[in-house]
Amino acid sequence: MRAAALLLAVLAWPAQAAWEWGAPLTVNSVQGAAIFPHIESANRQGVAVSGDTVGVVWEDNRSGSPQCYLALKPATAAQFQPEIQLSKNECYEPVVLALGDGRFVAAWEEAGAIQARVLPGGTSLQLSKAAAAQVTLGGRGDIVYAAWAEEAGRFKRIVVATLRLKGDALGVQSVQPVEAAPSVDDQGWPALAVTGDGSVTVAWEDRRYRHTVPLVSHSSDGRSFAPPARLTDRRSGSVDGLGAGTGAMRPTLAPWGERGAVAVWLDKRDFLSGYDVFAAFDPGTRRFGKNLRVQDNFGDNMAQWHARVVSDASGRLLALWDDARDGTPDVWLSEWDGEAFGDDFTVPAAHGPGAHSDPVAALDAGGALHVVWLDRDEAAGTRVRYVRAVRK
Amino acid sequence: MKLIQTLLAASVLWAGTALADPPKGYPFVDFDAGLKAAKASGKPIFLYFGRYGCAWCDHTNKKTFSDAGLKKLYSDNYALVYVDAESGKRLTLPSGERITEAELGVRLQAFATPLFVYLTPQGEKIFQAPGFKTVKDFQDYDSYVRGGHYKQKTLLEFLGSKS
Repeated sequence: MRAAALLLAVLAWPAQAAWEWGAPLTVNSVQGAAIFPHIESANRQGVAVSGDTVGVVWEDNRSGSPQCYLALKPATAAQFQPEIQLSKNECYEPVVLALGDGRFVAAWEEAGAIQARVLPGGTSLQLSKAAAAQVTLGGRGDIVYAAWAEEAGRFKRIVVATLRLKGDALGVQSVQPVEAAPSVDDQGWPALAVTGDGSVTVAWEDRRYRHTVPLVSHSSDGRSFAPPARLTDRRSGSVDGLGAGTGAMRPTLAPWGERGAVAVWLDKRDFLSGYDVFAAFDPGTRRFGKNLRVQDNFGDNMAQWHARVVSDASGRLLALWDDARDGTPDVWLSEWDGEAFGDDFTVPAAHGPGAHSDPVAALDAGGALHVVWLDRDEAAGTRVRYVRAVRK
Repeated sequence: MKLIQTLLAASVLWAGTALADPPKGYPFVDFDAGLKAAKASGKPIFLYFGRYGCAWCDHTNKKTFSDAGLKKLYSDNYALVYVDAESGKRLTLPSGERITEAELGVRLQAFATPLFVYLTPQGEKIFQAPGFKTVKDFQDYDSYVRGGHYKQKTLLEFLGSKS
Protein backbone atom coordinates (compact mmCIF):
# COMPACT_ATOMS: atom_id res chain seq x y z
CA MET A 1 0.00 0.00 0.00
CA ARG A 2 2.82 2.36 0.99
CA ALA A 3 4.73 1.40 -2.14
CA ALA A 4 1.70 2.16 -4.27
CA ALA A 5 1.28 5.55 -2.61
CA LEU A 6 4.97 6.30 -3.14
CA LEU A 7 4.70 5.29 -6.79
CA LEU A 8 1.68 7.56 -7.29
CA ALA A 9 3.49 10.43 -5.58
CA VAL A 10 6.52 9.94 -7.82
CA LEU A 11 4.35 9.75 -10.93
CA ALA A 12 2.49 12.88 -9.92
CA TRP A 13 5.64 14.80 -9.03
CA PRO A 14 6.62 16.25 -12.45
CA ALA A 15 3.23 17.92 -12.93
CA GLN A 16 2.93 19.11 -9.34
CA ALA A 17 6.44 20.47 -9.42
CA ALA A 18 5.77 22.75 -12.36
CA TRP A 19 3.89 25.34 -10.32
CA GLU A 20 4.73 26.92 -6.99
CA TRP A 21 1.58 27.80 -5.11
CA GLY A 22 1.17 30.72 -2.74
CA ALA A 23 -0.94 30.85 0.39
CA PRO A 24 -4.68 30.60 -0.37
CA LEU A 25 -6.93 33.53 0.56
CA THR A 26 -10.64 33.83 1.22
CA VAL A 27 -12.34 36.28 -1.12
CA ASN A 28 -15.89 36.65 0.25
CA SER A 29 -16.10 38.58 3.52
CA VAL A 30 -19.51 37.22 4.53
CA GLN A 31 -20.19 33.51 5.00
CA GLY A 32 -22.90 31.48 6.68
CA ALA A 33 -24.73 28.17 6.55
CA ALA A 34 -27.63 29.77 4.63
CA ILE A 35 -25.45 31.88 2.33
CA PHE A 36 -24.73 30.22 -0.99
CA PRO A 37 -22.02 31.74 -3.17
CA HIS A 38 -21.93 30.67 -6.81
CA ILE A 39 -19.11 31.06 -9.32
CA GLU A 40 -21.10 30.40 -12.43
CA SER A 41 -21.27 32.15 -15.77
CA ALA A 42 -21.07 31.67 -19.48
CA ASN A 43 -17.42 31.03 -20.36
CA ARG A 44 -16.66 30.66 -16.62
CA GLN A 45 -15.17 34.16 -16.49
CA GLY A 46 -15.07 34.71 -12.74
CA VAL A 47 -11.53 36.06 -12.32
CA ALA A 48 -9.35 38.52 -14.24
CA VAL A 49 -6.01 40.19 -13.61
CA SER A 50 -5.67 43.83 -14.64
CA GLY A 51 -2.18 45.21 -14.21
CA ASP A 52 -1.30 43.94 -10.76
CA THR A 53 -4.88 43.81 -9.48
CA VAL A 54 -6.92 40.61 -9.25
CA GLY A 55 -10.70 40.91 -9.69
CA VAL A 56 -13.11 38.14 -8.65
CA VAL A 57 -16.89 38.11 -9.25
CA TRP A 58 -19.55 35.82 -7.82
CA GLU A 59 -23.19 35.76 -6.75
CA ASP A 60 -24.57 35.06 -3.29
CA ASN A 61 -27.77 35.54 -1.28
CA ARG A 62 -26.42 37.20 1.91
CA SER A 63 -28.92 40.06 1.50
CA GLY A 64 -31.87 37.71 1.15
CA SER A 65 -31.84 37.64 -2.64
CA PRO A 66 -29.15 36.65 -5.14
CA GLN A 67 -26.83 39.61 -5.76
CA CYS A 68 -23.55 39.93 -7.67
CA TYR A 69 -20.28 41.04 -6.09
CA LEU A 70 -16.77 42.05 -7.18
CA ALA A 71 -13.72 41.89 -4.90
CA LEU A 72 -10.35 43.37 -5.80
CA LYS A 73 -6.87 42.60 -4.55
CA PRO A 74 -3.92 44.76 -5.57
CA ALA A 75 -0.66 42.79 -5.60
CA THR A 76 0.64 44.78 -2.63
CA ALA A 77 -2.42 43.93 -0.49
CA ALA A 78 -2.28 40.90 1.76
CA GLN A 79 -6.04 40.29 1.48
CA PHE A 80 -8.93 41.04 -0.85
CA GLN A 81 -10.61 44.38 -0.26
CA PRO A 82 -14.25 44.28 0.93
CA GLU A 83 -16.45 43.36 -1.99
CA ILE A 84 -18.50 45.81 -4.05
CA GLN A 85 -22.14 44.92 -4.74
CA LEU A 86 -22.72 45.23 -8.48
CA SER A 87 -26.49 44.77 -8.56
CA LYS A 88 -29.64 46.13 -6.96
CA ASN A 89 -32.09 43.49 -8.16
CA GLU A 90 -31.93 39.70 -8.41
CA CYS A 91 -28.58 39.01 -10.08
CA TYR A 92 -26.91 35.97 -11.61
CA GLU A 93 -23.83 34.79 -13.48
CA PRO A 94 -21.44 37.76 -13.29
CA VAL A 95 -18.30 37.90 -15.43
CA VAL A 96 -15.21 40.11 -15.29
CA LEU A 97 -12.73 41.24 -17.97
CA ALA A 98 -9.40 42.99 -17.40
CA LEU A 99 -8.91 46.37 -19.11
CA GLY A 100 -5.37 46.97 -17.83
CA ASP A 101 -3.98 49.32 -15.19
CA GLY A 102 -6.23 47.91 -12.47
CA ARG A 103 -9.46 48.55 -14.39
CA PHE A 104 -12.12 46.00 -15.24
CA VAL A 105 -15.42 45.58 -17.03
CA ALA A 106 -17.99 43.45 -15.22
CA ALA A 107 -21.23 42.18 -16.77
CA TRP A 108 -24.12 40.24 -15.26
CA GLU A 109 -27.78 39.32 -15.52
CA GLU A 110 -29.97 41.55 -13.36
CA ALA A 111 -33.76 41.34 -13.28
CA GLY A 112 -33.66 39.41 -16.55
CA ALA A 113 -31.51 41.95 -18.42
CA ILE A 114 -27.78 42.17 -19.21
CA GLN A 115 -25.86 44.94 -17.46
CA ALA A 116 -22.22 46.02 -17.87
CA ARG A 117 -20.07 48.46 -15.91
CA VAL A 118 -16.49 49.71 -15.86
CA LEU A 119 -14.81 49.40 -12.46
CA PRO A 120 -13.62 51.13 -10.39
CA GLY A 121 -16.03 53.97 -11.10
CA GLY A 122 -18.42 53.73 -14.01
CA THR A 123 -22.16 53.21 -14.00
CA SER A 124 -24.26 50.28 -15.13
CA LEU A 125 -25.36 50.14 -18.74
CA GLN A 126 -28.18 47.85 -19.87
CA LEU A 127 -27.17 45.99 -23.02
CA SER A 128 -30.14 43.72 -23.75
CA LYS A 129 -33.59 44.68 -25.02
CA ALA A 130 -35.57 41.49 -24.31
CA ALA A 131 -35.26 38.88 -21.55
CA ALA A 132 -31.61 37.84 -21.51
CA ALA A 133 -29.05 35.83 -19.56
CA GLN A 134 -25.63 34.19 -19.65
CA VAL A 135 -23.38 37.07 -20.64
CA THR A 136 -19.67 36.78 -21.42
CA LEU A 137 -17.02 39.36 -22.36
CA GLY A 138 -13.95 39.71 -24.54
CA GLY A 139 -11.85 42.67 -25.49
CA ARG A 140 -8.85 44.25 -27.12
CA GLY A 141 -7.68 47.81 -26.66
CA ASP A 142 -10.67 50.08 -26.16
CA ILE A 143 -13.13 47.67 -27.80
CA VAL A 144 -15.13 45.31 -25.57
CA TYR A 145 -17.36 42.58 -26.93
CA ALA A 146 -20.24 41.10 -24.97
CA ALA A 147 -22.21 38.01 -25.98
CA TRP A 148 -25.35 36.73 -24.30
CA ALA A 149 -28.54 34.70 -24.88
CA GLU A 150 -31.61 36.86 -25.54
CA GLU A 151 -35.20 35.91 -26.21
CA ALA A 152 -36.35 36.38 -29.77
CA GLY A 153 -39.76 34.85 -30.25
CA ARG A 154 -40.08 31.39 -28.80
CA PHE A 155 -36.40 30.75 -28.16
CA LYS A 156 -33.26 32.46 -26.94
CA ARG A 157 -30.52 33.25 -29.45
CA ILE A 158 -26.95 34.50 -29.18
CA VAL A 159 -26.43 38.24 -29.50
CA VAL A 160 -23.06 40.03 -29.72
CA ALA A 161 -22.54 43.68 -28.80
CA THR A 162 -19.55 45.79 -29.74
CA LEU A 163 -18.80 48.36 -27.05
CA ARG A 164 -16.28 51.20 -27.08
CA LEU A 165 -14.56 52.23 -23.88
CA LYS A 166 -14.30 55.96 -23.19
CA GLY A 167 -12.90 56.69 -19.75
CA ASP A 168 -15.23 55.04 -17.25
CA ALA A 169 -18.07 54.72 -19.77
CA LEU A 170 -19.04 52.09 -22.31
CA GLY A 171 -20.68 53.17 -25.56
CA VAL A 172 -22.69 50.69 -27.60
CA GLN A 173 -21.54 50.56 -31.21
CA SER A 174 -23.62 47.62 -32.38
CA VAL A 175 -25.84 44.84 -31.03
CA GLN A 176 -26.82 42.01 -33.32
CA PRO A 177 -27.51 38.29 -33.35
CA VAL A 178 -24.86 35.90 -34.59
CA GLU A 179 -27.46 34.50 -36.99
CA ALA A 180 -30.03 36.75 -38.62
CA ALA A 181 -32.61 33.98 -38.97
CA PRO A 182 -34.79 33.24 -35.94
CA SER A 183 -33.66 30.31 -33.79
CA VAL A 184 -35.46 27.04 -34.29
CA ASP A 185 -34.58 25.91 -30.75
CA ASP A 186 -32.79 27.33 -27.73
CA GLN A 187 -29.27 28.77 -27.87
CA GLY A 188 -27.34 29.65 -24.72
CA TRP A 189 -24.13 29.78 -22.67
CA PRO A 190 -21.95 31.68 -25.17
CA ALA A 191 -18.18 31.90 -24.94
CA LEU A 192 -16.23 34.60 -26.72
CA ALA A 193 -12.54 35.01 -27.58
CA VAL A 194 -10.86 37.94 -29.26
CA THR A 195 -8.01 36.36 -31.19
CA GLY A 196 -4.55 37.79 -31.73
CA ASP A 197 -5.55 39.58 -34.95
CA GLY A 198 -8.52 41.25 -33.25
CA SER A 199 -11.21 39.07 -34.75
CA VAL A 200 -13.98 37.45 -32.70
CA THR A 201 -14.82 33.78 -32.18
CA VAL A 202 -18.09 32.88 -30.46
CA ALA A 203 -19.15 29.39 -29.31
CA TRP A 204 -22.46 28.48 -27.71
CA GLU A 205 -24.83 25.64 -26.86
CA ASP A 206 -27.39 25.04 -29.56
CA ARG A 207 -30.37 22.69 -29.63
CA ARG A 208 -31.32 22.88 -33.31
CA TYR A 209 -30.30 19.27 -33.80
CA ARG A 210 -32.67 18.14 -31.01
CA HIS A 211 -29.83 17.65 -28.55
CA THR A 212 -27.23 20.04 -27.11
CA VAL A 213 -24.39 20.72 -29.55
CA PRO A 214 -21.72 23.41 -29.12
CA LEU A 215 -21.56 25.51 -32.28
CA VAL A 216 -18.98 28.12 -33.21
CA SER A 217 -18.88 31.13 -35.50
CA HIS A 218 -16.22 33.63 -36.44
CA SER A 219 -16.25 37.31 -37.31
CA SER A 220 -13.43 39.57 -38.44
CA ASP A 221 -15.23 42.68 -37.20
CA GLY A 222 -17.63 41.50 -34.48
CA ARG A 223 -20.61 42.36 -36.66
CA SER A 224 -20.76 39.95 -39.57
CA PHE A 225 -20.53 36.31 -38.50
CA ALA A 226 -19.79 33.23 -40.59
CA PRO A 227 -22.43 30.46 -40.69
CA PRO A 228 -22.05 28.37 -37.53
CA ALA A 229 -20.07 25.15 -37.51
CA ARG A 230 -19.94 22.32 -35.00
CA LEU A 231 -17.29 22.44 -32.32
CA THR A 232 -17.71 18.74 -31.69
CA ASP A 233 -16.69 16.13 -34.23
CA ARG A 234 -19.63 13.88 -33.26
CA ARG A 235 -22.61 13.66 -35.57
CA SER A 236 -26.20 14.04 -34.50
CA GLY A 237 -28.55 11.17 -34.99
CA SER A 238 -30.76 8.65 -33.31
CA VAL A 239 -29.72 5.14 -32.31
CA ASP A 240 -32.26 2.55 -33.45
CA GLY A 241 -34.75 5.39 -33.76
CA LEU A 242 -34.12 6.60 -30.23
CA GLY A 243 -32.85 10.00 -29.09
CA ALA A 244 -31.01 12.53 -31.18
CA GLY A 245 -27.38 12.33 -30.06
CA THR A 246 -25.11 12.64 -27.05
CA GLY A 247 -24.89 15.91 -25.15
CA ALA A 248 -22.10 18.46 -24.91
CA MET A 249 -22.36 21.67 -22.96
CA ARG A 250 -20.85 24.82 -21.46
CA PRO A 251 -18.20 25.69 -24.09
CA THR A 252 -15.37 27.97 -23.01
CA LEU A 253 -12.92 29.76 -25.31
CA ALA A 254 -9.51 31.39 -25.07
CA PRO A 255 -7.25 32.99 -27.68
CA TRP A 256 -4.53 30.71 -28.98
CA GLY A 257 -1.39 31.65 -30.90
CA GLU A 258 -1.22 34.55 -33.32
CA ARG A 259 -4.77 34.34 -34.60
CA GLY A 260 -6.27 31.09 -33.31
CA ALA A 261 -8.55 30.01 -30.48
CA VAL A 262 -8.94 27.00 -28.22
CA ALA A 263 -12.21 25.61 -26.90
CA VAL A 264 -12.86 23.38 -23.89
CA TRP A 265 -16.25 21.99 -22.97
CA LEU A 266 -18.09 19.18 -21.15
CA ASP A 267 -18.91 16.25 -23.41
CA LYS A 268 -21.01 13.17 -22.78
CA ARG A 269 -20.01 11.11 -25.82
CA ASP A 270 -19.04 8.37 -23.36
CA PHE A 271 -22.52 8.48 -21.89
CA LEU A 272 -21.92 5.98 -19.05
CA SER A 273 -19.21 7.94 -17.23
CA GLY A 274 -20.68 11.39 -17.04
CA TYR A 275 -19.33 14.44 -18.80
CA ASP A 276 -15.67 14.42 -19.85
CA VAL A 277 -13.55 17.46 -20.62
CA PHE A 278 -12.86 17.86 -24.34
CA ALA A 279 -10.87 20.44 -26.28
CA ALA A 280 -10.38 21.57 -29.87
CA PHE A 281 -8.02 24.05 -31.51
CA ASP A 282 -8.50 26.55 -34.28
CA PRO A 283 -4.90 27.28 -35.36
CA GLY A 284 -6.07 30.42 -37.12
CA THR A 285 -7.77 28.78 -40.07
CA ARG A 286 -11.24 29.61 -38.65
CA ARG A 287 -11.90 25.90 -38.35
CA PHE A 288 -11.71 23.86 -35.15
CA GLY A 289 -9.97 20.53 -35.55
CA LYS A 290 -10.13 17.10 -34.01
CA ASN A 291 -11.60 16.87 -30.53
CA LEU A 292 -9.14 15.87 -27.81
CA ARG A 293 -9.99 14.38 -24.44
CA VAL A 294 -8.36 16.54 -21.79
CA GLN A 295 -8.49 14.64 -18.50
CA ASP A 296 -6.16 11.68 -18.04
CA ASN A 297 -7.11 8.03 -17.62
CA PHE A 298 -7.38 8.33 -13.84
CA GLY A 299 -10.31 10.67 -14.31
CA ASP A 300 -11.88 8.80 -17.16
CA ASN A 301 -14.57 6.90 -15.27
CA MET A 302 -15.60 9.95 -13.28
CA ALA A 303 -17.91 12.81 -14.17
CA GLN A 304 -16.09 16.09 -14.72
CA TRP A 305 -17.81 19.43 -14.10
CA HIS A 306 -17.26 23.17 -14.51
CA ALA A 307 -14.54 23.06 -17.17
CA ARG A 308 -12.65 26.17 -18.25
CA VAL A 309 -9.69 26.92 -20.54
CA VAL A 310 -7.18 29.73 -20.00
CA SER A 311 -4.25 30.86 -22.12
CA ASP A 312 -1.70 33.64 -22.46
CA ALA A 313 0.22 35.32 -25.24
CA SER A 314 3.35 33.24 -24.54
CA GLY A 315 1.52 30.06 -25.52
CA ARG A 316 0.80 28.78 -22.04
CA LEU A 317 -2.51 26.92 -21.95
CA LEU A 318 -4.34 25.12 -19.13
CA ALA A 319 -7.72 23.51 -18.69
CA LEU A 320 -9.27 23.12 -15.25
CA TRP A 321 -12.38 21.53 -13.82
CA ASP A 322 -13.56 19.64 -10.74
CA ASP A 323 -14.14 15.95 -10.24
CA ALA A 324 -14.38 13.53 -7.33
CA ARG A 325 -11.89 10.82 -8.36
CA ASP A 326 -10.26 11.00 -4.92
CA GLY A 327 -13.56 10.67 -3.08
CA THR A 328 -14.62 14.29 -2.80
CA PRO A 329 -14.79 17.10 -5.37
CA ASP A 330 -11.36 18.60 -6.04
CA VAL A 331 -10.01 21.11 -8.52
CA TRP A 332 -7.92 19.54 -11.28
CA LEU A 333 -5.79 21.04 -14.02
CA SER A 334 -4.10 19.83 -17.16
CA GLU A 335 -1.48 21.80 -19.06
CA TRP A 336 -0.97 21.69 -22.82
CA ASP A 337 2.62 20.68 -23.63
CA GLY A 338 2.50 21.68 -27.28
CA GLU A 339 1.34 18.28 -28.47
CA ALA A 340 -1.08 16.96 -25.86
CA PHE A 341 -2.67 17.72 -22.52
CA GLY A 342 -0.40 16.48 -19.75
CA ASP A 343 -1.16 14.45 -16.64
CA ASP A 344 -3.82 15.94 -14.39
CA PHE A 345 -2.66 17.71 -11.26
CA THR A 346 -4.40 19.42 -8.40
CA VAL A 347 -4.38 22.80 -6.78
CA PRO A 348 -3.03 21.74 -3.33
CA ALA A 349 -5.39 24.08 -1.45
CA ALA A 350 -8.33 22.82 -3.48
CA HIS A 351 -7.70 19.11 -2.93
CA GLY A 352 -8.39 16.79 -0.03
CA PRO A 353 -11.15 16.56 2.58
CA GLY A 354 -14.18 18.72 1.88
CA ALA A 355 -15.69 19.87 -1.39
CA HIS A 356 -13.59 22.09 -3.67
CA SER A 357 -15.42 22.92 -6.87
CA ASP A 358 -16.45 25.42 -9.52
CA PRO A 359 -12.95 26.59 -10.49
CA VAL A 360 -12.19 29.62 -12.62
CA ALA A 361 -8.74 30.89 -13.55
CA ALA A 362 -6.68 33.51 -15.34
CA LEU A 363 -3.08 33.78 -16.49
CA ASP A 364 -1.56 37.23 -16.01
CA ALA A 365 0.89 39.06 -18.26
CA GLY A 366 3.80 37.77 -16.18
CA GLY A 367 2.74 34.14 -16.58
CA ALA A 368 1.35 33.68 -13.05
CA LEU A 369 -1.74 31.53 -12.69
CA HIS A 370 -4.65 32.77 -10.56
CA VAL A 371 -7.25 30.17 -9.51
CA VAL A 372 -10.55 30.80 -7.71
CA TRP A 373 -12.92 28.12 -6.49
CA LEU A 374 -15.65 27.31 -3.96
CA ASP A 375 -14.75 25.62 -0.70
CA ARG A 376 -18.04 24.16 0.53
CA ASP A 377 -18.80 23.66 4.19
CA GLU A 378 -22.45 23.12 5.05
CA ALA A 379 -22.02 24.19 8.67
CA ALA A 380 -19.60 27.11 8.40
CA GLY A 381 -20.71 28.27 4.98
CA THR A 382 -19.06 28.30 1.58
CA ARG A 383 -15.90 30.29 1.01
CA VAL A 384 -14.77 31.76 -2.29
CA ARG A 385 -11.07 30.88 -2.29
CA TYR A 386 -8.15 32.24 -4.29
CA VAL A 387 -4.57 31.17 -4.87
CA ARG A 388 -1.76 32.40 -7.09
CA ALA A 389 0.90 30.16 -8.60
CA VAL A 390 4.11 30.89 -10.44
CA ARG A 391 6.06 28.64 -12.72
CA LYS A 392 9.12 27.17 -11.02
CA MET B 1 -52.43 20.08 -49.44
CA LYS B 2 -52.57 16.43 -48.43
CA LEU B 3 -48.82 16.15 -48.98
CA ILE B 4 -48.19 19.17 -46.73
CA GLN B 5 -50.42 17.69 -44.05
CA THR B 6 -48.56 14.39 -44.28
CA LEU B 7 -45.18 16.13 -44.04
CA LEU B 8 -46.34 18.17 -41.06
CA ALA B 9 -47.63 15.06 -39.34
CA ALA B 10 -44.35 13.29 -40.04
CA SER B 11 -42.32 16.21 -38.68
CA VAL B 12 -44.40 16.28 -35.51
CA LEU B 13 -43.92 12.52 -35.18
CA TRP B 14 -40.18 12.90 -35.72
CA ALA B 15 -39.95 15.64 -33.14
CA GLY B 16 -41.87 13.48 -30.72
CA THR B 17 -39.55 10.55 -31.18
CA ALA B 18 -36.34 12.54 -31.05
CA LEU B 19 -37.07 14.58 -27.97
CA ALA B 20 -36.29 13.11 -24.59
CA ASP B 21 -38.70 15.26 -22.68
CA PRO B 22 -41.01 13.82 -20.03
CA PRO B 23 -43.26 10.98 -21.16
CA LYS B 24 -46.49 12.12 -22.71
CA GLY B 25 -49.64 12.27 -20.64
CA TYR B 26 -47.92 12.46 -17.27
CA PRO B 27 -48.38 15.63 -15.18
CA PHE B 28 -44.67 16.45 -14.86
CA VAL B 29 -43.87 19.96 -13.61
CA ASP B 30 -40.66 21.82 -12.87
CA PHE B 31 -38.70 21.40 -9.63
CA ASP B 32 -40.08 24.38 -7.73
CA ALA B 33 -43.69 23.63 -8.64
CA GLY B 34 -43.23 19.95 -7.79
CA LEU B 35 -41.68 20.66 -4.39
CA LYS B 36 -44.52 23.05 -3.58
CA ALA B 37 -47.14 20.52 -4.71
CA ALA B 38 -45.49 17.74 -2.72
CA LYS B 39 -45.41 19.81 0.47
CA ALA B 40 -49.08 20.68 0.01
CA SER B 41 -50.24 17.15 -0.82
CA GLY B 42 -47.84 15.11 1.32
CA LYS B 43 -47.02 12.99 -1.72
CA PRO B 44 -43.43 11.89 -2.35
CA ILE B 45 -41.57 13.37 -5.30
CA PHE B 46 -40.57 11.35 -8.35
CA LEU B 47 -37.85 13.33 -10.14
CA TYR B 48 -37.02 12.40 -13.72
CA PHE B 49 -33.54 13.77 -14.54
CA GLY B 50 -33.43 13.57 -18.32
CA ARG B 51 -31.37 15.00 -21.16
CA TYR B 52 -32.58 16.61 -24.35
CA GLY B 53 -32.03 14.05 -27.11
CA CYS B 54 -31.15 11.21 -24.69
CA ALA B 55 -31.71 7.84 -26.34
CA TRP B 56 -32.16 5.86 -23.12
CA CYS B 57 -34.69 8.43 -21.86
CA ASP B 58 -36.56 8.05 -25.13
CA HIS B 59 -36.41 4.24 -24.80
CA THR B 60 -37.70 4.37 -21.21
CA ASN B 61 -40.53 6.68 -22.23
CA LYS B 62 -41.60 4.35 -25.01
CA LYS B 63 -41.13 0.97 -23.37
CA THR B 64 -41.98 1.69 -19.77
CA PHE B 65 -43.84 4.95 -19.24
CA SER B 66 -46.28 4.01 -21.99
CA ASP B 67 -47.82 1.47 -19.59
CA ALA B 68 -51.27 2.71 -18.58
CA GLY B 69 -51.11 1.18 -15.11
CA LEU B 70 -47.76 2.78 -14.37
CA LYS B 71 -49.05 6.10 -15.62
CA LYS B 72 -51.98 5.95 -13.20
CA LEU B 73 -49.85 4.70 -10.31
CA TYR B 74 -47.30 7.50 -10.61
CA SER B 75 -49.69 10.28 -11.66
CA ASP B 76 -51.97 9.56 -8.70
CA ASN B 77 -49.36 9.07 -6.01
CA TYR B 78 -46.38 11.31 -6.74
CA ALA B 79 -45.51 14.89 -7.37
CA LEU B 80 -43.87 14.38 -10.76
CA VAL B 81 -40.85 16.60 -11.48
CA TYR B 82 -38.85 16.77 -14.70
CA VAL B 83 -35.36 18.30 -14.75
CA ASP B 84 -33.32 18.89 -17.93
CA ALA B 85 -29.70 17.80 -17.30
CA GLU B 86 -28.20 20.60 -19.41
CA SER B 87 -30.59 23.43 -18.70
CA GLY B 88 -29.73 26.78 -17.18
CA LYS B 89 -33.24 27.08 -15.76
CA ARG B 90 -33.12 27.91 -12.06
CA LEU B 91 -34.64 26.02 -9.17
CA THR B 92 -34.64 26.41 -5.40
CA LEU B 93 -33.40 23.54 -3.25
CA PRO B 94 -35.12 22.84 0.10
CA SER B 95 -32.12 24.57 1.76
CA GLY B 96 -33.08 27.78 -0.01
CA GLU B 97 -30.13 27.65 -2.41
CA ARG B 98 -30.85 28.70 -5.99
CA ILE B 99 -29.06 26.59 -8.59
CA THR B 100 -29.57 25.64 -12.23
CA GLU B 101 -31.11 22.38 -13.37
CA ALA B 102 -27.70 21.37 -14.77
CA GLU B 103 -26.09 22.07 -11.39
CA LEU B 104 -28.60 19.72 -9.77
CA GLY B 105 -26.86 16.99 -11.77
CA VAL B 106 -23.59 17.91 -10.06
CA ARG B 107 -25.21 17.71 -6.64
CA LEU B 108 -26.80 14.34 -7.51
CA GLN B 109 -23.45 13.14 -8.92
CA ALA B 110 -25.35 12.14 -12.04
CA PHE B 111 -23.23 10.20 -14.50
CA ALA B 112 -25.91 9.00 -16.87
CA THR B 113 -29.43 9.83 -17.97
CA PRO B 114 -32.15 9.01 -17.35
CA LEU B 115 -31.69 9.26 -13.59
CA PHE B 116 -34.74 8.68 -11.40
CA VAL B 117 -34.72 10.24 -7.94
CA TYR B 118 -37.27 9.64 -5.18
CA LEU B 119 -37.63 12.37 -2.56
CA THR B 120 -39.77 12.86 0.50
CA PRO B 121 -42.50 15.53 0.31
CA GLN B 122 -40.00 17.86 2.02
CA GLY B 123 -37.45 17.27 -0.74
CA GLU B 124 -35.05 14.95 1.09
CA LYS B 125 -33.54 12.29 -1.15
CA ILE B 126 -34.64 8.70 -0.52
CA PHE B 127 -32.67 7.06 -3.32
CA GLN B 128 -31.76 7.44 -6.95
CA ALA B 129 -31.57 4.92 -9.79
CA PRO B 130 -29.84 5.57 -13.13
CA GLY B 131 -30.60 4.09 -16.54
CA PHE B 132 -33.41 2.20 -18.23
CA LYS B 133 -36.01 0.71 -15.87
CA THR B 134 -38.93 -1.61 -16.48
CA VAL B 135 -42.53 -1.27 -15.32
CA LYS B 136 -41.77 -3.88 -12.65
CA ASP B 137 -38.77 -1.84 -11.44
CA PHE B 138 -40.93 1.22 -10.98
CA GLN B 139 -43.64 -0.80 -9.24
CA ASP B 140 -41.02 -2.15 -6.81
CA TYR B 141 -39.59 1.31 -6.21
CA ASP B 142 -43.10 2.58 -5.51
CA SER B 143 -43.64 -0.16 -2.90
CA TYR B 144 -40.32 0.68 -1.30
CA VAL B 145 -41.04 4.41 -1.12
CA ARG B 146 -44.76 4.60 -0.36
CA GLY B 147 -44.59 1.55 1.87
CA GLY B 148 -42.08 3.43 4.01
CA HIS B 149 -39.58 0.55 3.78
CA TYR B 150 -36.77 2.99 3.03
CA LYS B 151 -36.85 3.98 6.69
CA GLN B 152 -35.68 0.51 7.75
CA LYS B 153 -33.96 -1.06 4.73
CA THR B 154 -31.75 -0.22 1.84
CA LEU B 155 -33.31 -0.68 -1.57
CA LEU B 156 -31.23 -3.80 -2.19
CA GLU B 157 -32.30 -5.31 1.15
CA PHE B 158 -35.92 -4.56 0.31
CA LEU B 159 -35.72 -6.03 -3.17
CA GLY B 160 -33.89 -9.08 -1.81
CA SER B 161 -36.57 -9.66 0.82
CA LYS B 162 -39.27 -9.66 -1.86
CA SER B 163 -37.74 -12.44 -3.94
